[in-house]
Amino acid sequence: MSLLRGLGGFVRRPRRPWRLAAEASALLIAVVVAFPLYWMVLSAFKPAGEIESSEPRPWTLAPSLDSFRRVFGQQEFGRYFVNSLVVAGSVVIVSALIAFLAATAVTRFRFRFRTTLLIMFLVAQMVPVEALTIPLFFTMRGLGLLNTLGSLILPQIAFSLPFAIWMLRGFVKAVPDALEEAAYIDGASRSRFLWQILFPLVFPGLVATSVFSFISAWNDFLFAKSFIISDTSQSTLPMALLVFYKPDDPDWGGVMAASTVMTIPVLVFFVLVQRRLVSGLGGAVKD
Amino acid sequence: MKLAPRFAVLLAAAAVAAGCAPQTSDNSSSDKDDKSGTLRVWLFQEVGNDPKAKVVDSVVTAFEKAHKGTKVDVEYIPIDTRAQRVKAAFNDPKSAPDVMEYGNTDTAGYVKDGGLLDVTKEFGAWSEAKDTDPTAKQSVTVDGKTYGSPFYVGVRALYYRTDVFKDLGLQPPKSMAELAATARKIHKAKSDLYGLVVGGAYTYGAMPFVWANGGELATAKGGSGGSYTSAIDSAAAQKGIKAYTSLFTSDNCPAAKCAVMGGNDTITAFAAGKAGMAIGGDFSHTAVEAGKVKGKYAVVPLPGVASGSVAPAFAGGNNIGVLKSTSHRTLAVDLMEQLTSKATQASMFDAMGFLPTFTDVRGAAAAKVPFEKPFVQTLAAGTKFVPASPGWSEIDSSLVLPTMLQEVISGKKSVAAASGDAAKKMNSAFSSAG
Amino acid sequence: MYLAPALVVLGGLLVYPIYQLGLISFFQYTQAQVSGGEPTTFKGFGNYSELFSDSQFWQVLLSTVLFAGACVVSTLAVGCALAVLLTRVRALPRLVLMLAALGAWATPAVTGSTVWLLLFDPDFGPVNRILGLGDHSWTYGRLSAFFLVLLEVVWCSFPFVMVTVYAGIRAVPSEVLEAAALDGASQWRIWRSVLTPMLRPILTVVTIQSVIWDFKVFTQIYVMTNGGGIAGQNLVLNVYAYQQAFASSKYSLGSAIGVVMLLMLLAVTLVYLRLLRRQGEEL
Repeated sequence: MSLLRGLGGFVRRPRRPWRLAAEASALLIAVVVAFPLYWMVLSAFKPAGEIESSEPRPWTLAPSLDSFRRVFGQQEFGRYFVNSLVVAGSVVIVSALIAFLAATAVTRFRFRFRTTLLIMFLVAQMVPVEALTIPLFFTMRGLGLLNTLGSLILPQIAFSLPFAIWMLRGFVKAVPDALEEAAYIDGASRSRFLWQILFPLVFPGLVATSVFSFISAWNDFLFAKSFIISDTSQSTLPMALLVFYKPDDPDWGGVMAASTVMTIPVLVFFVLVQRRLVSGLGGAVKD
Repeated sequence: MKLAPRFAVLLAAAAVAAGCAPQTSDNSSSDKDDKSGTLRVWLFQEVGNDPKAKVVDSVVTAFEKAHKGTKVDVEYIPIDTRAQRVKAAFNDPKSAPDVMEYGNTDTAGYVKDGGLLDVTKEFGAWSEAKDTDPTAKQSVTVDGKTYGSPFYVGVRALYYRTDVFKDLGLQPPKSMAELAATARKIHKAKSDLYGLVVGGAYTYGAMPFVWANGGELATAKGGSGGSYTSAIDSAAAQKGIKAYTSLFTSDNCPAAKCAVMGGNDTITAFAAGKAGMAIGGDFSHTAVEAGKVKGKYAVVPLPGVASGSVAPAFAGGNNIGVLKSTSHRTLAVDLMEQLTSKATQASMFDAMGFLPTFTDVRGAAAAKVPFEKPFVQTLAAGTKFVPASPGWSEIDSSLVLPTMLQEVISGKKSVAAASGDAAKKMNSAFSSAG
Repeated sequence: MYLAPALVVLGGLLVYPIYQLGLISFFQYTQAQVSGGEPTTFKGFGNYSELFSDSQFWQVLLSTVLFAGACVVSTLAVGCALAVLLTRVRALPRLVLMLAALGAWATPAVTGSTVWLLLFDPDFGPVNRILGLGDHSWTYGRLSAFFLVLLEVVWCSFPFVMVTVYAGIRAVPSEVLEAAALDGASQWRIWRSVLTPMLRPILTVVTIQSVIWDFKVFTQIYVMTNGGGIAGQNLVLNVYAYQQAFASSKYSLGSAIGVVMLLMLLAVTLVYLRLLRRQGEEL
């Protein structure tokens, strides 16, 4: 509970009724925020026909797994799942490592064009991704990566890097310069300092930024539908689940079950890193 | 950290690689004509795809037997992402299939993109081709050349609730005026039902009204250029637009709910028992059967202006074509013919209910399944097709016609103003598409 | 040295495509050119003048700016308010709210939009039922449709702001706050004069990111208003570009819109950073 004590100063220990009111409203807001998610899962479990009822009820008396069966009954569902994990996993790891090096460089060294470079990283995020798929298509074709998972991984890394570098800057900055000097005095080499001292210190920050790259890589279907043309074995989960979004046959149950399946891995990832996330994002402020 | 040089190198490399013009692919037709090897086929993945796959499998097995040393690799692609897939296939011939199924409104666009092979000679020489119905033939034809073989047609007619009609003592409408009056009667008697459910984004539901009133989407300018001029703002077309949009009122289908609907929304509403009538296709049969109204509905052709006439319907459907980049020209064309032959279409009808494109095969099919009768009648009464211009896909995807309908429905613009604006947009699409 | 991998990846996969994007915007470049059916032709500023002479473009631009502005302000307000709320409650309610927010954050945009649409569905949705609105349609009116999308955007983007700002507040040394409190400063004053300056780096990042994300909003509008609303009344720039350009394969026009968006975002960001620098903040 060191956390609470740390904050006590800000609010001069709120008086009891106030705190209760705050807690009540926090819970109420939590309910409102979670309600759409609840409705999503609920609709996924509702038996056919009950979703399209004009008397929507916030519960179901006959939960059914039919919608989930349709989702898992997709051809090669397991393979798509693994492909998605591979893509998201590689993007997270590779972009975290690259961003760590780059963030170290832009904070620890002063050089010409440093500010320009930082702004470039920002600019990179401003381009509408849809507009870039055509040039990227030719780049991927040139690299011979079309129809492979590589064509999904590489652009995702590129798109998550700028934000990751921006976020990580704060963490690297937070590590006192004195620590670096001390390390060198103790005879540590540069790479030793980098990997054995700096890396563990900014690790929470890496986790926080990984959340972003994970979500965007996991949810992507723009690249998947543009670059995976003829080899379905390289398809990813969103592509497989897109079948249920087709307007020809609005299958609400299927859509909701598919959405639940899509969301759960991200939620698991979130819960796993939750604690690190908060302490991680906080690091960015300790300038 | 010497950054500047590194950056300069990168930029220079980029500039060299790029030359001075944006990248394009070289999609000239391949002159190779291998007589063996693997043929890749893309077909659309339907909602219940297994029966379709079975028919295709038997065609493929026969084909492989007839041509020693060939293998056919069939892939079912999701309809939703087909646009990206096909464009990508045009851009990367290595990933492209040899034979593919495509929506017939896409023909002109794909030809313009340089993706489809001209099969005029082969199609003309094919003995079965002469029985293809003219509208279906038109849907594979651009500038007098044939770019594929029709696979099936889809057409829309009027679904109505037999139980509701019986309750209220109504008869299926015989003319467009009667249609509107019947719709209002239903809504008045049963306020929880739309009379005739209509959609502001349901272009192919609205077009019959325009055609029935003597209007046209566009008229061909003549000449071999095949360019078109929009006719959506003609007096006759405006009359049709007015007839359709006047159905979006609180006494039939309130604008607040119906203006956003597309074709599938109207079918969903009908299937859920929320409408007395709906304009649906033969392909909507399964969806309606799966709904609450199973056993309580029937279908008649959508009536035209004169009593007892049939409104011209839009002839939708799919074709199968050969890609320009194929390296197995002869084999691919042969496979295309096998996949769209009379025998295949007949068994495809039994399996999926796809209406055949050959008039004789279709007649036999209609005799077997009474449900199809009104649709075959509609087809026999004459159907219309969208302008065979690459500009059409642009008009379609930039929602020119739904926008026009919605502007009128929501009272933002008069029929004259909205159709005038739509005509301007259509003309610019036609002219820029050449 | 450390920058090399980042520069290679970004150079090859971002800078070069962006360069191509700029190039394409000066050419006649449709699907026919891409697949080699017709040669590319140089059009100079032709695509841009076509764009700027289109009255719908200006209308869409205006609604994009207003809508994105409303989204940014609401997201920041909700996020900051809840971050402060988080600091005032005990561990259990904090955990509950945090998890709910993470859930909203984790939801893919397509999914979130679909669920919200279902919630507000005039026939099948619970919201109208609870509010007693009958079969009122939320997507028919221009403003009400924008409002519905705004709710969804705020729902899925406030968690980032909340978690980041909360983490930021937590990282402020308690001595500073205690000292201020001892000096008898009011809570509002503490927030204004002590916390805000200390949180500025975080608020900067959060604001810039929100501006970038909300200006580029695509999925929510596309899914929830069915591609731009009735007669295109809910179009924003990104959806407009998609419809005008990518759906009908006029890539050059789409690229031109992309370049315009890029330049506008860049201008906004640079002005914002300039303002910050004037206040003594360094990048």
